[in-house]
Amino acid sequence: MEGFLQALAAGLLIGAVYGLMCVGLGLIFGVMRVINFAHGDFMMLGMYVAFYLFTAAGVQAVFGNAVGPFIAILLAGPVLALFGYFVHLTLISHVSGTRTASLEGEGHYAQLILTLGIALILQNGGLIIFGSVLASIRTPLSSSAWELGPFFDMSIFINKARGIDAVVSLLIMTLLSLLIARSRIGKSLRAAADNPTAATYMGIDVDRAHRTAFALGSGITAIAGGLLATNYPFHPFVGLEYVIVMYAGVVLGGMGSIIGAFWGGMTIGLVQQMSTLILPTQLQNAAIFVVFLLIIFFRPQGFFGRMVERT
Amino acid sequence: MLRIEGLSAGYSAKPVLNGVSINVDAGQFVAIVGPNGAGKTTLFKTISGILKPSGGEISFNGVDLLAVPPAQRAHLGIAHVPEGRQVFPSLTVMENLEMGAMTESGRRDWASNIERIFAWLPVLAERRGQFAGTLSGGQQQMLAIGRGLASSPKLLMLDEPSMGLAPSTADFIFERLIEIRQQSGLTMLLVEQRVAEALESADHGYVLEAGRVVLEGNNETLRTDDRVRKAYLGM
Repeated sequence: MEGFLQALAAGLLIGAVYGLMCVGLGLIFGVMRVINFAHGDFMMLGMYVAFYLFTAAGVQAVFGNAVGPFIAILLAGPVLALFGYFVHLTLISHVSGTRTASLEGEGHYAQLILTLGIALILQNGGLIIFGSVLASIRTPLSSSAWELGPFFDMSIFINKARGIDAVVSLLIMTLLSLLIARSRIGKSLRAAADNPTAATYMGIDVDRAHRTAFALGSGITAIAGGLLATNYPFHPFVGLEYVIVMYAGVVLGGMGSIIGAFWGGMTIGLVQQMSTLILPTQLQNAAIFVVFLLIIFFRPQGFFGRMVERT
Repeated sequence: MLRIEGLSAGYSAKPVLNGVSINVDAGQFVAIVGPNGAGKTTLFKTISGILKPSGGEISFNGVDLLAVPPAQRAHLGIAHVPEGRQVFPSLTVMENLEMGAMTESGRRDWASNIERIFAWLPVLAERRGQFAGTLSGGQQQMLAIGRGLASSPKLLMLDEPSMGLAPSTADFIFERLIEIRQQSGLTMLLVEQRVAEALESADHGYVLEAGRVVLEGNNETLRTDDRVRKAYLGM
């Protein structure tokens, strides 16, 4: 029982960060319908940006070891958003949006090759620049815990860094949801996703809406990556490990639903942690995909997906 | 207001429009009628910029429209109520109207516009919080018209507002359009297959067949023309 509660807590904490990670990808897919294979590598870049901001750019010196990492991680968001903005402007926009709207398959083949190419460049470029040594964003909070309880003589230990990671994730998720639901920009993103042609008739620049979504999605996943890096060491190829989890989360939540992507990521975090109760840890990822297949079998549109025809 | 000169356009190698010239003056209600496949929707798409023409000119209030990027054309005062309604299904009725009001004048006049739109199309007020995808076809058409009006347009382009609707609903929408036009004096360009109704309410009409204007004139001329009477009015 104690093990169960402990695994549940760990699953919820890691699930919140996975959720945020999936939301970044879900936003891009939902608005643009572009499958970005490089998204895991954008996250890897976000981890390194946070790492170097913390260690080399003086964030550690100014804010110290406890708060510093989180400041650096939050700053990595805008940096990667800017990076995403330029990747879209210079590369992705040539194979997506209004330029390819009339092409067969809406340019999906070109998008596939292009984003795979970007992924390879980022991975191998990362290897040259950052080296193959494992890095991590160390904070003293990563190795200390809060004790919750006791509930019925049982205590749950919450790793402090993971606890803060989850809270930061939830805060950003809340801000993003408000932005998407309430703001003019958010509404125009949804309109551009619903019907790009009609959005153009309204005077919405669809390519610019796509660029906004791509930048926002890149920044959000970068922050999620930085949060993961407080507990998990990373390397230039770490994106490959996460991009599959991201897609599983987005599909579970329902393609195109942003809140769905969050719950998809949360489900994966929970399954991953709970599976360690009955399975060896090497089978964590196998467990994720067994549950994934089961859910998709019974609910092919995902949790929040709707069977709507896209015009 | 809108001048189209010798416009040719089409998809890939297949020309749909062949040297079409159409003129809409400020305050006019102009109807373009013709059979399926005559190029009516293609004409509207070219005006809105979704389709690039292969030849000809379009000017709007003296501005060369073809030099204006598609998304900017709405900001000049052109509202396009597209064929098949094309509301944003996952946005609420109110949010759809807000999307119509993306233009500067639409934002400025939002409060007074929304009041007028709700007065003309009360069903939109009743359903303001409902997702547009869950509305009936007629309600979606009214929303598409309301969305167009929310931009405070100088020119309202309506592409077959009666398409796919029950005759009584289509009649109702036509009555609304005439009322809107009488009360607002808005310039309207209507494409319609319901030729009798369209010609009856319009000031001026064009008959488009196989990508060419085969006939034009004021509604009196057109309605008494033998070819129109035989081919479209069934008389």
